[in-house]
Amino acid sequence: MAYLELKNVSFQYPNGYTAVENVSMEFEKGEKVAIIGQNGAGKTTTVKLMNGLLRPAKGEVLVGGTSTEKYTTAQIAKNVGYVFQNPDDQIFQDSIYKEIAFGLLKSGMGKAEIDKKVKETATLCGLENVLEEHPYNLSYSKRKFITIAAIVVMDPDVVILDEPTAGQDRDSTERLGKIMNWLTAKNKIVITITHDMEFVVKEFERVIVMAKKQKRRDASPKEIFWDEELLKFSNLKQPYICQFASLLGYRDVLTIDDMIGVTE
Amino acid sequence: MAEIILKNVNYQYPLEEKEVVCDFTYCFEQGKVYGLIGENESGKTTLCNIIRGFIPELYRGKLEGEILINGRKISSYDSGELASIVGYSFQNPFVQISGVKDNVYEEIAYGMENIGVPREQMIKRVDELVKMFHLEELVDKNPYELSGGQKQRVALASMIALDPEVVIMDEPTSQLDPKSTEDIFEIVNILKKQGKTIILIEHKIDLVAEYCDSILLMHQGELVMHGDAKDVLTDPKVLEYGGQLPQIVLYFLKQGKLKGNEIPLTVKEAVEKILKEAQR
Amino acid sequence: MDSRIGKLYPTTKFMITLLVVIISIFTPGYVLQYIMFPAFLIISLMAGTTKQFLNAFFKSIFIIILFIFAMQVFIITNEDQTPIWGFIHFSQAGLATSLSMTSKITAIASAIMTFFETTKVKDITYALEYAGTPRKVTFLISSTIQLIPQMSSLSKTITDAQKSRGIETEGGLMTRIKAFVPMLGPLVLSSIQQTEERVLALESRAFSAKGKKTSIYVLHKTGLDIVLEVLSVILLMGYVVWRVM
Repeated sequence: MAYLELKNVSFQYPNGYTAVENVSMEFEKGEKVAIIGQNGAGKTTTVKLMNGLLRPAKGEVLVGGTSTEKYTTAQIAKNVGYVFQNPDDQIFQDSIYKEIAFGLLKSGMGKAEIDKKVKETATLCGLENVLEEHPYNLSYSKRKFITIAAIVVMDPDVVILDEPTAGQDRDSTERLGKIMNWLTAKNKIVITITHDMEFVVKEFERVIVMAKKQKRRDASPKEIFWDEELLKFSNLKQPYICQFASLLGYRDVLTIDDMIGVTE
Repeated sequence: MAEIILKNVNYQYPLEEKEVVCDFTYCFEQGKVYGLIGENESGKTTLCNIIRGFIPELYRGKLEGEILINGRKISSYDSGELASIVGYSFQNPFVQISGVKDNVYEEIAYGMENIGVPREQMIKRVDELVKMFHLEELVDKNPYELSGGQKQRVALASMIALDPEVVIMDEPTSQLDPKSTEDIFEIVNILKKQGKTIILIEHKIDLVAEYCDSILLMHQGELVMHGDAKDVLTDPKVLEYGGQLPQIVLYFLKQGKLKGNEIPLTVKEAVEKILKEAQR
Repeated sequence: MDSRIGKLYPTTKFMITLLVVIISIFTPGYVLQYIMFPAFLIISLMAGTTKQFLNAFFKSIFIIILFIFAMQVFIITNEDQTPIWGFIHFSQAGLATSLSMTSKITAIASAIMTFFETTKVKDITYALEYAGTPRKVTFLISSTIQLIPQMSSLSKTITDAQKSRGIETEGGLMTRIKAFVPMLGPLVLSSIQQTEERVLALESRAFSAKGKKTSIYVLHKTGLDIVLEVLSVILLMGYVVWRVM
């Protein structure tokens, strides 16, 4: 049964601008999904509807079968965590430990248990050696991991990551993959907005394409990246290997191994 | 004529023990596009801060070694002078908005105003830049209200307004979507055609391969690899130092049929090569 | 701001404002001062800024005026007070004092508010720089004013981010107070942190270059400006002479 559901949601900003129209999607526990699309397609609005930051004008959002209507965003955050793109919009403590622990302090959890969880999450995010440091001692890209840790430690059932790969180097991108897999292994839902097509191919089996305020397709990377009409309409480009294969007349190639396979 | 020479440059931030840049020696030639790659915190931004003179002027710390721009020691330049010789653009679009102009047209002129360029000249230059960077629709807008990609383009235009010979771009597309990224690289191309020397810090290695002539790979503060793009970006050693290789290169390396710098760097090159082979 | 009044040179408007302020302070009585309110209302009508004027006036000044009246007439001890109920009394002297005070406040506030409502910050800084104010000072003024709407939109983003991590911001007073630090923290911290990069970005625009600055934006004094400025000076001198005599 779907844990997170958007049912025919539409949203309009106060100035009359419609950001999403009649969007429906479902997510089951343990799934990892990428949402891709040009800027302005409605991706961010859609995920903000998931955690209650925005409320649908039409349709409903269900978490665990219950509508989010009567809950505040902070309440929904227990189940649906959203890591913002800019970590500096969230960080306010003077040590990384405190920043990660902040959400747990209110939950009534015992100190020993909080300590254990914080250290576990910090290790997952590569921050185990800098827990006593001030968050701003770390570079911008490393600070992103602090906010990821702060959300993951709260143990929500859904974790939404907004462009986590922007500005990251190879090691950090790999670590992101590890974090996502750790979450899905614990039966969490991971939803990632990204522009990095190679990252999508490497890490996801399900991709949702958004374009012009609507969900256009929900399928595997192979189906999406070889749907030329969809890509053109959505103003998206294929990953480089697909472009290469396409220009040489091959189809349905997604990875380097695929390509080697067809050219033998 | 060599543009920027660095000899045995070492730098340590104040209160830090480790050197962030170690024994860096390199000569940047005029008119080439340099891709500066490597892991985060490998010293790339620090190096660029040194070339631009932000270190040691605005950052204290211990700087050793020689830095020459057009044959003169960097310390002999006035800070205002350097702005017209070495342009710098940053990763964060928001930070580059001057904050004192309420429309893009004047925003572009801001740097020129500071160095006292006569008004007629400024108007001519801004009109030129608006055309070059396709900013026509944005001229009356408040810079703060632009999207990230638009802000970045305006910031670049404002920087180019001072007509620097050298342009340093520090991860200009990190926070941008693919379309805006394309716009920025188009600008890189335009600047390249104008004969400017460009130093580009970027993670998007496939684009680096497409636009850069030479590559510098930094690892833990040291310059560990450097050379022509087609030599460096086809060498698997790059991966050992925390760098990345273009997708096409990874393909050919795995496939094993081509070696060394025979390997194409971009999709376009690869397709051309294969089609040529097929014709034989 | 595009009206004829908006287009007047800032110094002109400043001189008129100054004239009104001086006359209001040094003229005895209260009728002249109170008349300034409808006078500036008419000016606002001509400048198209009526809404802002009335808004600003009634949201702040009016409340202060009512407060002063209440205090002076009914509460503060005066010699001629006649008791009404408990500690509330009526004082004729208090009434006179409050009329005098509030009329001056009305006049000065009307003039100053109208000045800022009909003059772009841009024009003020232009006039200041033209008069020789260093760039660094005008930079501080302009960038601070422009930053205010940005800060408010940034606060909204921060609030959203903090809500998304479980910090409750909606609800009763206690809840909002507890949410204060998580809201202000990132704003202050990120502003400080950004300042470093901002300084570098400004350096790239030759901010600290020495020498004369130019401006792509120009503002000229028109004939009307000169007439009004001369008039203001004459009126001021005339007033001083009249008061001294």
